[in-house]
This record gives sequence, C-alpha cells and structure tokens, in this order.
Amino acid sequence: MTRLVGVDVGSTTVKAVLVADGAVRWQDYQRHGTRQAEKVLSFLERMEAEAGLVAGRDRIFLTGSGAGPLAPLLGAKMVQEVVAVAAAVERLHPDVRFVSEIGGEDMKTVFFTEAGARRGKQVYMQAACSGGTGTFVERIAKKLGVTPAQLAEAAYADVSRHEISAKCGIFAEADANSLVKAGVPVEEIIASLFEAVVTQNLATLTKGNTPLPTVLLLGGPNRFFKGLREAWQAHLARLWEQRSITLPAGAMVDDLVQVPPAALYYGALGCVEIARTEPSEVGGYSGLERLHWWIDVGQHEAKARAGAKGLAGDAEELERFLRAYAAPPAPSSLDPEPEATVPPGPRTREPVVIGCDFGSTTAKAVALSAERRLLGSWYVPSKGNPIEDAKLLFGRLREAGFEEVAGLALTGYGKDLLRDVLGADLTVVETVAHARAALELYPDVDVICDVGGTDVKIMILRQGTVADFRLNSQCSSGNGAFLQGVAERYAVPLEDYAAHAFRAQAMPQLAMGCGVFLQSDIVNQQRNGWSADEIMAALASVLPLNVWVYAGQLRNLQAAGRHFVLQGGTHRNLAVVKAQVDFIERRVPDARIVIHPHAGEAGAIGAALAADEARQSGVASRFRGFAAIEALHYRSTTSALTRCSWCTVQCRRTFIDVAVEGGPGRRWSKVKLAEGWERVISGNSCPKGLIEDKDELRVVKSRYEETKRAHPNIGELVRAAAFRAVR
Amino acid sequence: MPIPTLANWFARLRSGPSGDRAQLRIGIPRTLAIWSTHQFWLGFFAALGIAPRNLVFSSPTSEAQYHHFGRGRGTVDCCYPVKCMAGHYGELVFGQKRRLDVLFSPMFHSIPSFLDGAVKTSLSCPRVMAAPENIKAGFLKERDVFGERGIRYVSPLLDFGEPALVPGQLHAALAEVIPGLTLAETTRAAAIGWAALQRFDAGLRAESAAVLGACARRDAPCILVLARPYHMDPGIGHEIEGELQAYGYPILWGQYLPIEPALMAWMFGAEMQRGDIASPFDIADVWPSSYSANTNELLWAAKFAARMPWITCVIRLTSYECGMDQPTFSPVQEIVERSGTLFFAFQELDATKAAGSIKIRVETIAHYLEHASGDIIRQKRRLMGAGCPLEDATSQAA
Repeated sequence: MTRLVGVDVGSTTVKAVLVADGAVRWQDYQRHGTRQAEKVLSFLERMEAEAGLVAGRDRIFLTGSGAGPLAPLLGAKMVQEVVAVAAAVERLHPDVRFVSEIGGEDMKTVFFTEAGARRGKQVYMQAACSGGTGTFVERIAKKLGVTPAQLAEAAYADVSRHEISAKCGIFAEADANSLVKAGVPVEEIIASLFEAVVTQNLATLTKGNTPLPTVLLLGGPNRFFKGLREAWQAHLARLWEQRSITLPAGAMVDDLVQVPPAALYYGALGCVEIARTEPSEVGGYSGLERLHWWIDVGQHEAKARAGAKGLAGDAEELERFLRAYAAPPAPSSLDPEPEATVPPGPRTREPVVIGCDFGSTTAKAVALSAERRLLGSWYVPSKGNPIEDAKLLFGRLREAGFEEVAGLALTGYGKDLLRDVLGADLTVVETVAHARAALELYPDVDVICDVGGTDVKIMILRQGTVADFRLNSQCSSGNGAFLQGVAERYAVPLEDYAAHAFRAQAMPQLAMGCGVFLQSDIVNQQRNGWSADEIMAALASVLPLNVWVYAGQLRNLQAAGRHFVLQGGTHRNLAVVKAQVDFIERRVPDARIVIHPHAGEAGAIGAALAADEARQSGVASRFRGFAAIEALHYRSTTSALTRCSWCTVQCRRTFIDVAVEGGPGRRWSKVKLAEGWERVISGNSCPKGLIEDKDELRVVKSRYEETKRAHPNIGELVRAAAFRAVR
Repeated sequence: MPIPTLANWFARLRSGPSGDRAQLRIGIPRTLAIWSTHQFWLGFFAALGIAPRNLVFSSPTSEAQYHHFGRGRGTVDCCYPVKCMAGHYGELVFGQKRRLDVLFSPMFHSIPSFLDGAVKTSLSCPRVMAAPENIKAGFLKERDVFGERGIRYVSPLLDFGEPALVPGQLHAALAEVIPGLTLAETTRAAAIGWAALQRFDAGLRAESAAVLGACARRDAPCILVLARPYHMDPGIGHEIEGELQAYGYPILWGQYLPIEPALMAWMFGAEMQRGDIASPFDIADVWPSSYSANTNELLWAAKFAARMPWITCVIRLTSYECGMDQPTFSPVQEIVERSGTLFFAFQELDATKAAGSIKIRVETIAHYLEHASGDIIRQKRRLMGAGCPLEDATSQAA
C-alpha cells in the first residue's frame, strides 16, 4: 500500500503527515530552530521506523518557504504553499469561503467563490514585513514577560484595547513600550496586539473581497492564541453586520469562524491532496541518502557559494579605502589653531559664539572663536528635563573658561522650548543646521546623509538650500542602534566593530528591510555557521540599502547628485563607511564621498555658524549669561492635571515652570502660571503633547488663524466656497 | 441579484420617478476632476430644479472616511487620489441620514482649461477618467450594493473640453433619473453651469491678482503651489501649504492665477514679439506634447512663477507614483529655478501625512524664504523690467 507524505517546511516549524488508505497514520509538528534539513531528516527517519515509509514505493510532496533546497534531495515534488493550503481546504471543507493562515513570518488569505463544481479561488500572501504575523505578537509578548502559556490563554473580548501600529513590528514595540510606561495593564496590550494583527490582515490581504462565512483560521498563531480567534470573530461579526451578510439561520459566530483541530497541518495535508491528483510516478520518495549528504557537506558548500565576498575586499582594496577614510581628515577651516586649545587660557576670554543641539537622547554644544575656529565640543546625555540638561551643558562650557558669549543659536528637538529660557539669539531647524555645517567645508555638497542612533536623515541640496529631506518615519530599518545592539551581543566594543568586520573574508547576505526579520536572519546565519566577524560585516554592508532605499525611499542616487557628505555618529564606524562608499560608488561612479570631520556635532556646529552670522550683523546677543542659567529657578509639576489627553496613551507629562524675566505666564492654564514665568513641557512622547490642553490649543489656534487671515491661501478659498451653492 | 426584502422594496418605491424633482437627492464624490468642475454641477443641477440641500458632495478625503466606508472595497491602484474614492462612494451610499436617489460620478475624458486654444488638447489623466469604473467594481463585485439601497448609479463619459458635446452626453445619462428632462432644458442648465464655474474661477483669479498686487506694493514675497486640483483636498494635499501660510506668506495656486491682458503683455510680450510663443498661453516652448489639461496648466504656471518677481518660492505637490507628474518633474523644476526662485517638491504624498518630516521640511522652507526672498525679488524685478501693472494701485481687484 503506497503511503503519501506531505511536509510543510515553514519559517519557524516543520509540520508533516503520512497518509495511507485515506487516513492519517502519522503526524508531528515541531519548531526547527533554523535547522530545517535536520528536522525533516528526523521526521522521515521516524516515519520509516514507525509508519512503514519505504523508498522507491512511497511518494513525498513538500511545501513551505524552506522546502526549495530539500525537495530534489528526497525525490519530492514542490507545491506552492497557498496552493497546498487551498487544496486541503477544498477537500475537507467544501462550505468554507474564506481562509486566513498566519505563520511565523508570513500571512496568507484565500477567498473561495461558490461558482460551479470547481470553485474559483483568489489567494493573497505577504512575507516581506513582520506586521500582522506571529512573530509580531510573540516578540512583544516576550518583551512584556508574558509566557507562551499565558499568551495562548490571553483574552481579547471584554478587554480594553489601545492603538498599536500594525504596520511595523518595531514601531508596534515602541507603542507597546509607551503603553507600559503609561501604566496600561499587560493583558490590555496583548489584546491590542491581537487587534492589530487582525486589522493588518484585513487591511492588506482582502483587496476588495469580503471574507464570507464559513471562515477557517489556520496556522500556529490562529490555532494557539485564543485571543486572536476572538479578535477575528469580533471583527468578522461586525463586518458581516455592516455589509448585511445573511448568516445561516441560528448560526453562532463560533460556528462560522472555525479553527479546526488539524489547523497546523493544512499545508502538509494539501501536499497529500495534490499528490492524489498527480500521476503516480511524480514525487517518488528516493530515501534519505542525499539528505544526509546535504546536512554533512552540501549545505556548507552552498553557504560558501551563496555568501558574498567580504566587506573589506582584498588587501589592496582595504588599504586604498583606509588611506582615503581612516587617516585623520585633512585640515579644515574649522580646526582650532594649535595653540588655542581648551581648557582655559587667556584666549578664551575673547567672545565666542555657541551652538547647541538639543536632541532626544543627548544635548551637545560647540564654541567657535571669532575666526570661526572650533574651540571644543561638549555633550551631556539627556535626562528628560530640558532645563537640567541645559544647566549641565552650560556648566561644562563655563568650566571650560568661556566668559563672554557673543551669540547663541539652538537646534534640535528642544530648540523652541529653550529659546527664551536661555536667551538664544535664534533657533535653526535641524536640516538647515546640518546643511550649514556641511557647506562650510564642502561648498558644492549635493547630499548629506546623517545616520544617528535612532534615526536616518537624508538631505538633498540644490542652489545651497535643502531642497529635499527624508526622515525615516514609517519604518525603523537602517539606524545605528541596531548595529550597536549586535556588537553588544558579541561583546565587541563599538570602536572595534570595523576591525572585526574587515577581518571577514566572506559574509552571509542578510535581507534588506524589516528590522524584525533582520534580527531573525542573523540568528539563522549564525546557526548556519557564520562567525561574529562575518555577521558584523554583513550587517554593515546591508545598512546602506536600508538607509537609502528602505528608509530613505531614494531609488535613483545619481539624480540626487555626486558629492556626498556622511555624518552622524554611526559614520564613525569605518565598516559602515566602507559599505556606504561601495554602495554609492556602484550607483554613482564619479561620486565624491567624504565623512564630515565632526560627524557627531554637525548640528551644533551649524547652529554656531548661524549664530556667528547673526553676530556679524552687529546685533547684541540676548544670551542670559552663565550665572543666570546656573541660577535658573524652576518648579516642576507632575499630576493628574499635567497628564496629556490628546490620545489614549495619556503620557505622564511634567510641566517645568521657569522664572524668567518677561515670561508671559499662562493665565488660562489648569496649572496657573503667573507672569514672569515660562513653561517647558517634558515627558511627552510626541510633539502634540507640547501643547498643554484644549485651552492652549484655542490660544495657539486663534493666533494661527489671525496670521492666516492676513495672508490668504487661494486653496483655502476653494475649499471653503467651491462646493457651496451660488448665491 | 439582490433578494427582494421589504426594506429594499420600499427603497425602490421611493426612488421611482415621482415627478417631483425637488425631492430627488443626488450625491457626487468630492474627488479628482470634480475639484475643477464643482460650481458647474451646483449651477447645472439647481437649474434643473434640484434643491441645493439635495445635492450632496461627499466630505473631504480622510483616513477615517476610508476606514469606515471604503475598507475592503479598494482596488489594486497605487494612485491614492483614485483609491480614496472608495471611501467617498461608501460615504454617499452608507453614510447619509437621508438616503440618496442617485450617485452621480462622471468620467471626464477631457476637462475645461483656460489654455484651450493655445494647447493641443485638454484631456484628463486616463486613470482619472477610468476611476469611477474602477471604484464601482468594489460595490458591484459581490453584490449590487447600489441596487440594494435603491440608489441609481449614473456615470456618463463627458467631454468637458468640448462644451458643445456636454448637453447631449448629460441628457442621455440623466433622462432616466430626472423626470421629464429634455435636451433643450439640459442645454440651458449646462450653460448656467458653465457661467457659474466661470464666475467662480474669475473671482479667484481676481483674489490672486489682489494678493500679488499687495505683494508688489510692499515688495513682499508669496508662495505658489503647483499641484493638481485635487491636491486642494485636505486629505490628499494634507494642507501642507497652510503650514507655510501660518509663517505669514500668502499662498497662490497655479489653477487660479491672474490672466488679464495687461499683465500677460508685461510678462510674455517680449517673447511674443520675438516669435518664441504665439500667445501668452502658449507652452510649446517648454512642453510640446500639450495634451493633458492639468499638466499643461502646471507647466504654464511654472512659467508664470519664473516671471513673477513676488513669487519667491514654488511648492510642488505630487501624489505617490503619479505617472502623469513624473515627466514634468525636471522641466518644472528647471523653469522655476532658472529664474532664481526657490523650488521645493513634496513628491510622495499618500494616505498618511508624514507629519514629523513635513514639519521639519516646512520649517526648512520658511528659513530659506525668510533669508532669500528679498534678493530673489530684487533679482527678478531687474530681469523683468519696470511697468508691471500689478504695481499700479488701481489694478487692485474689487
């Protein structure tokens, strides 16, 4: 009696069934821990021993994302995953109209039409992004300390839910973190995750079709997470009501949205269904010999073939690169004169201009001499209280011996908050500050690429202005924090990253795109035997692709220009610079690529240069003075009244009220502020939180409306009048 | 085929020709070329005796609108201005307190343009023209949603670029839904519609002239938006220009620039005398394949911006993956920048407003405007010479 074997080799698990006489005789489901070939081998060995599988007589069909290299080794035929699932559903559930299968790293939907004996199908699948997949839920649950058993039992119905980004796993994590910070109970966050998964599946994989009853939910997450099933049921019931779908009389939602006991095995069962329709010589099981060879020898050879040449290239290439980029930068006009080193000397008594960059993680300052020489740079990690950050930073400057400040300019997230408190002469938007710093040294720069710890900024210049600007806001891919995380995992100090990466002779090719998958790809490659050095090289080499294409959405580099300036802390890492140079030169052969000699402080330098321009125009500085800043008197309030109410996250904000001469006060506020005081808001996680409440919004809005009235917008007139009846 | 239920039987009953046009309710999706023909429809349907309160435009585009009314009815189209139409249809079908009798969604083969005569033709984008067919499918594919709700779906193909054809096309489409409609009456109503649209356009051109006149007299800068008409929809253009307005700059749109003869003569007279162009509205010098109405107007407005001293900055808005805009990027930018005018493009507009990066970009633009406007005005005035009719206080529009 011929036995039919179906094996589904997925991204995280292997599922297999053996069917004889139309009945399942053997089945198992196990995580493969990225050793897919080994797991398939052990399954087949067990089938031979326990269920009488015989080479030469029996037949085998494979499906799943990992089946490709294994099928020919076993004599098996490959079946596309969605086709396999659909075949099993058609056979086992003739009444089913909609199937959702959610896997570890992919999701699929199948719509069946009623037409005729052979039912029409429409299939959709996505496997490029973690949003909406099992990994999405598991990763965050793990971070929240929820055990798999708790996750399986977590409820959806009757639990309050909150907004979580369904689009990107990493952003969802950020949303989950802010919910935790806001004190939202873990069960509510988990319920919100289930909500996000269902929303994402319905949003991206229905394409104009309505999922009709009966609905079948398949795959591990649908099978194991009770809450996810409840979320599907709730969403579909609502959808059916909205669309007036007639439900079978007396049917309960539980009957119409089913998770079959064999939910995990539909891919494997579908293989067997396909086998039945194929001629009997197709998929003849050829035994395990070649699979053994693959595990011992073949996969290692394939790995070596698939891998890319090392990041460093040959010795000559590396030397050429290091000569161009590792040497101390050529002297620039910003360099301090050799004798004018800080700290204190008599020269520091001369007036200086100061530029500060108040970012979200650090506050930086630089001082320039009257001749625009850089006298030094200082930084403090941000503690979340901008006033304290500013006091510390200006304390450092004072220690360095500066006395007279002829100009002060601010840039970065905190620039507007601190302008009046510090008495800054001007604030400069980040892009302009960065461009100013680059233009000072490279007047013909076309593109500035700033890769920081948590964000990527790309600025394209034309006619000396920032004509285009890209900030990665939809996707977290491509930033430096990830690189740092991996280095930490291998206990390699960031300064040594490049040395390690350049040692690799070959490297695996990592997937561009989603940071969540990049992480699991690294784990895979590690298990494939790639070393830490090789993986660090591979990670650096995929970074430019993520920066320019995935985060920057910039496909045509040549159109952007030919003179590139790299800055931001991540470009201190020469492995990243090598990857960037290779990447850019391949696309723009005559590119000129330089690293800004003050890569980390470019924003503050740009601000200082702007302050110097203002100084030259002869306006006296408004700077309050070091003593006044040191003596800044403030009180902070954190209470129910300061809690942000713009969205459901309800950030616990702090109002920092500073006594400042001429401060406008806030009479209308719930936390009253007298004249002579200035309020700085902190602890908010988005810019909206900087507006105190509805009362302030009214104040801000009326000012805004006044400006708008004085300066008409023809488009607004159209919006207001075009759709109204003519009088 | 919908199953007859009591509810939709009643619905049918109510929508039958009652002879009373004042009761007939007509919905129009506020999308695409409706943004350049709005007043025509108000004038036209009012002239046919449809009560103004019974002519319903869907709300401006929003993500919430699509979420509530259009989700799952979308089609595979990367053009967001087309895709969002599913939400507009859904709102008109499901979101009305009082049910509509007719969903009127014309397919524009061509649209009216003030450049007609000077350009080859004024077609609309093929995607825009076909959009109603495309979106309709999401409401008919599984079941006839319109029929179930007693709504008549009317979607004529219209040649607005050739006004003489329009009454016949409209009469053929509407004769069945508007009781007793004759061709003569349709022709009269269309004439009233055209007049309303022309009055509206002329009013806005006068507003623009007033803005420019005020700028000229104070030597103050203003901003010109180059975009397609539907970018005025806050859900599509995201009101980016409004954020710049809040910095204290008046905003003009390329669709509604002043075109009075004296101004045209001052701007284009020398080129016409040299024989470079045949009329002020000729764009053959920069865009020989002038067949698309919106594209033609974009190019003409770019020429206008280059010559108008007080427009110191041009903002270009483009929706993600717009195939019609793609070939215009470089010419428009080059025309504007050659005159020293600042040029900034927002090229990837989509459903979601990328608020963080837009805020920084707007601040960036405001910075350069503040610092460079004075020089730009001086330079462009030198290039254009004296005698601009706008500087004459009497030219201020009433």
